[in-house]
Order: sequence, then C-alpha cells, then structure tokens
Amino acid sequence: MKALQIPAVVIALIVLAAVPWFGSDVLVQFGINALLLGVLAQGWNIIGGYTGYASFGNSVFYGLGSYGVGIAMVQWELPFAVGLAFGVVLSVAFAILLGIPVLRLKGHYFAIATLALAQVMTAIVSNVKLAGQNIGLVLPPLNNDLLFYELALGLLVVATLTIYWLSRSRFGFGLIAIRENEEGAAVMGVNTTLYKVLAFALSGVFSALAGGIHAYWVTFIDPESAFDISLNVKMIIMAVFGGPGTVFGPIIGALSLSAVSEFLSSEITSIAGLFFGVVVVAAVVLMPRGLADMLRRFRTTGWRYFAENIKATRL
Amino acid sequence: MSAILEIKNVTRRFSGLVAVNDVSFDLQPKEILGIIGPNGAGKTTLISLISGTLPPSSGDILFEGKSIANMPAYQRARLGIGRTFQIMRPFPGLSVLDNVAVGALFGRGGGNAELARARELARAQLDFVGLGKNVDQRADELGGPGRKRLELAKALAMQPKVLLCDEVMAGLNLVEIDEVIDVIRKVRNEGISVLVIEHVIKAIKSLSDRLLVLHHGEKIADGDPETVLANQAVVEAYLGKRRA
Repeated sequence: MKALQIPAVVIALIVLAAVPWFGSDVLVQFGINALLLGVLAQGWNIIGGYTGYASFGNSVFYGLGSYGVGIAMVQWELPFAVGLAFGVVLSVAFAILLGIPVLRLKGHYFAIATLALAQVMTAIVSNVKLAGQNIGLVLPPLNNDLLFYELALGLLVVATLTIYWLSRSRFGFGLIAIRENEEGAAVMGVNTTLYKVLAFALSGVFSALAGGIHAYWVTFIDPESAFDISLNVKMIIMAVFGGPGTVFGPIIGALSLSAVSEFLSSEITSIAGLFFGVVVVAAVVLMPRGLADMLRRFRTTGWRYFAENIKATRL
Repeated sequence: MSAILEIKNVTRRFSGLVAVNDVSFDLQPKEILGIIGPNGAGKTTLISLISGTLPPSSGDILFEGKSIANMPAYQRARLGIGRTFQIMRPFPGLSVLDNVAVGALFGRGGGNAELARARELARAQLDFVGLGKNVDQRADELGGPGRKRLELAKALAMQPKVLLCDEVMAGLNLVEIDEVIDVIRKVRNEGISVLVIEHVIKAIKSLSDRLLVLHHGEKIADGDPETVLANQAVVEAYLGKRRA
C-alpha cells in the first residue's frame, strides 16, 4: 500500500502539471479555481481538521491575501511577489492579534466568533481609502493562465507537504492532542495557546497566498468578493467531505466537488445551488470521517459502514 | 531531605463554595502520599491546583523549592508534574500507542524528541502498565480498566518527578487493584514521588507511606496510615458521629 502510494502521487502530479499543455482553456480555468480551492481546503485542514477549531475566519485570510496583492500592485506599484508577501504578513498579524482572544472560545462559540470576523472585515475594508473603499481595486492584467495554473498547483503541493509534515511531527501531534482533548493536552506539556495560534497563522498563510494568486488572476477585487463567507463554507465542506485531519482528503474533496459543482451549474442550473447543502448533510450523516476514511474502510465493512455512521449520529 | 512538592495554605473557592480550605502539606522525594476523604472533600480540586488546570484563590505551591502557583499547566508538566484524570481523558481518535507518545513528545525531557523515539518510549511504558497488547487499538475502544492503565501510561511517559494519581483504582476489581498497586510501587522504586487520591481505603492503607485526610476542603489528619485511620475525627468524617 505505502509502496504504491508514492508513485501514484507522483504520476497524478505529472498529469496535473501537464494539463495546460493538452487541456482546453476552459479546463485550465476550471483547474486554477479547483486547485486554489484545494489550497484553501488544506489551509482549513490545519486549524479545522488537525486542531479541531472549525474556523469561519479563513475567508478573512483569503481577503487579506487578495488585498495584500491588490494594494501592493495598484497603490504602490510593487511586483506580484512582494504583494503576496505583504498579504501573508497581514494574515499572520491578523491570526496572532485576533487568534489570541478568539481561540479561547471552543466549539460553536469559536465558529460564531470567527463568522463575525469576516463581516467586520468587509465593513472595515469598505472604508479604507488605500483599499479602494467599496469600489475595489483593478489590478494590472496578466493574460497567462499557464503561469497561474502552475502557481496554484505548486502552492497546493507545498500546502500538502506541510500537512504531511504535520501528520508526523511533534507540532502536528500537539495539534491533534488539542483537538482530541485540550485539557488533557495541556497537562501533558502541550503549550495549547501557542500551538493554536501557530496553527491559525499557518492556516492563514496558505489562505492568503491562494487569495493573492486569485486576485491577480481575476484582476479585480472588492470587499464583498474578497471576504465572501460562502467561500469559507466551501472550504469546510470540501475538507470535511474529503476527510478532515488527513493528508490527501481535502484535495480529493476539493477536486471532486469542484468538478461536480461545475457540471451541475452548466447542465442543471436550477438545482446546482442545492448541491453543497446536500453534500453537507450526506457527509455528516453517512461519512463523518470523510471520503478518505470511507474508501479505506468500505472494503472491509461494506455497506455496514454507512449503517454504523447513521446509528452513531442517533437519528 | 527537602520536600519536592510543598503546598502552603492553599485555598480554592468556586464563588461561594470553598472546595479547598487553607490546606498545607508536603511531598518528600520517593514518598507515596495517600489522600483520602469522602465525596466532595476537595481531592480532585487539589490535584487540579497542583497540575495547573485550576489556579488557586490564595496560597502557594512550591515544586523543588520554586513557586509554580502562577505557572500554566503545560510548564508544570514540563518541569515534571504528571497527572491522571479521574474521569479518563484519552485522546479518543488516536491509537493507544500515540496517546502515550504525546506524553513522551511533550513531557519532561521532551522538546526535541523524535516521533519514532517517542513511540519506542511509549511502547515500553505500555508494557510496564500491562497494555502491551493493545498498542494498535484506538483509545476509545479500551474498556474502563484499560483506560485507567492508559491514564497511568500517559502520565508516566512524561517522565515525571511527581505523579498525581486521581482515583486510578476506582471501578477496578480486586485483582486489577493489586496490579495497579504493584505498578505504583515500581514507579516509586524508580525514584518518582507519588500522590495517590483514593476512595478504596483498604488499597490505599497498604500502599501509602503517609496518609492525609480531607473533609469539606480541610485537612483533618496527616500521618502514618494506621494512626490516621484510628483518628476519631477521621472515623466521624467517614461514618458520621453516631456510628463512631
């Protein structure tokens, strides 16, 4: 199993990297979106999947990353890379400043508090002159989908390698211990406050980079789209559907759900809006540990897998 | 010999209720100190105050001569204070082995521990408490007695200097109690000081070098087990005045 995994990942990566050379423009554009969603899902995986804090604030990081690139390139005429770095700095600062109070909350309270952050940020940015107020910013166009595609893919690879490292490092074990039982983790020597803030910040780094790349790609940002809460909902659905707290689950979730959602919105537009809602219900009831776990265990347990999960949710 | 742990006039209030009232005692190196008391006497609160999951309302706690009363729980753990929970707190989704490995990764002497090395230490610790066969099980698949042992293994993997045991024998049968007593004796023989909270008086009487009795949050007796258990105030606390 393990021996087969590495070549399989390498082959999948080569195929993905080669898409711009044999795929249509539409496919490449779909790919950029799907890969960036994959990065967002992986970013959420760090704070939500590994640490167990269901963050609705990751769209704030995404927005800060977008505005980092927008402000640097439009207002200060700096290169794209500097903009990305600026966005990351904003995100990390935000994660530390707001993470310290907000990460004291647990469960639903944390989710609600972070949900409010995105709304507040929309209101604040709409009034900042440097950020173009509620009109937004128009970035210099760069018509190079190949570059954006490979950037998004590269970022997803880095995000996944980071998560792979988490899954077998002391830091990652600390986060998992916090998720499983925070008080138990503290008395075993885990600096829970520091670890949670670091996880929040790391999660923010990837979300910000995805936001920055997306902003330069679509060449336009405004407060509504940059801090869009539905994007945060999407990353949670994708990570949870694929398997939160696993290395590859969120990627599988992001790519498969993007594909189905794309297909529905072009073929049967009327029910496309329902799609993510149905996915949430199905995922939570039938496979709360995600697609990755389902695929692994389905072979041994068969259909009983779903029956047991339904029983466990006490419907 | 100077005490490894000193509790000085520690009080803990929960709004109106005084759970621990002006309690002082110390724990000597390599000593097994038993703490008994009826339900609600403040035993678990006392352990939480020492391990740092609760701050004291007043008083001081010294570990190796230095005050730790204002230190967060994780720092106390790294200094060498390990505890078990009465209501067991395993990491349910992790394997039994990884549950214990967390202790080796973060406890005393952790900090630069490798995962592979931590798992090795964890395996040894699980063998020690008699869970060697269960390493690959998920922690939430263990039964009650298994979880009690897991709690012990998790705390021991931190290589503590002081081990705080919160009712590790509750719910065990007589054979299992003897096995746990045996484990705790071995722990002490390795040079670790142990503070044992227990309900089962018979078990703790044979195990402890010294016995301390809490009642309504106050220390009512402290001394060698035989004398303490014969003490009039202790008998009254347990059986009521009329019976005594």
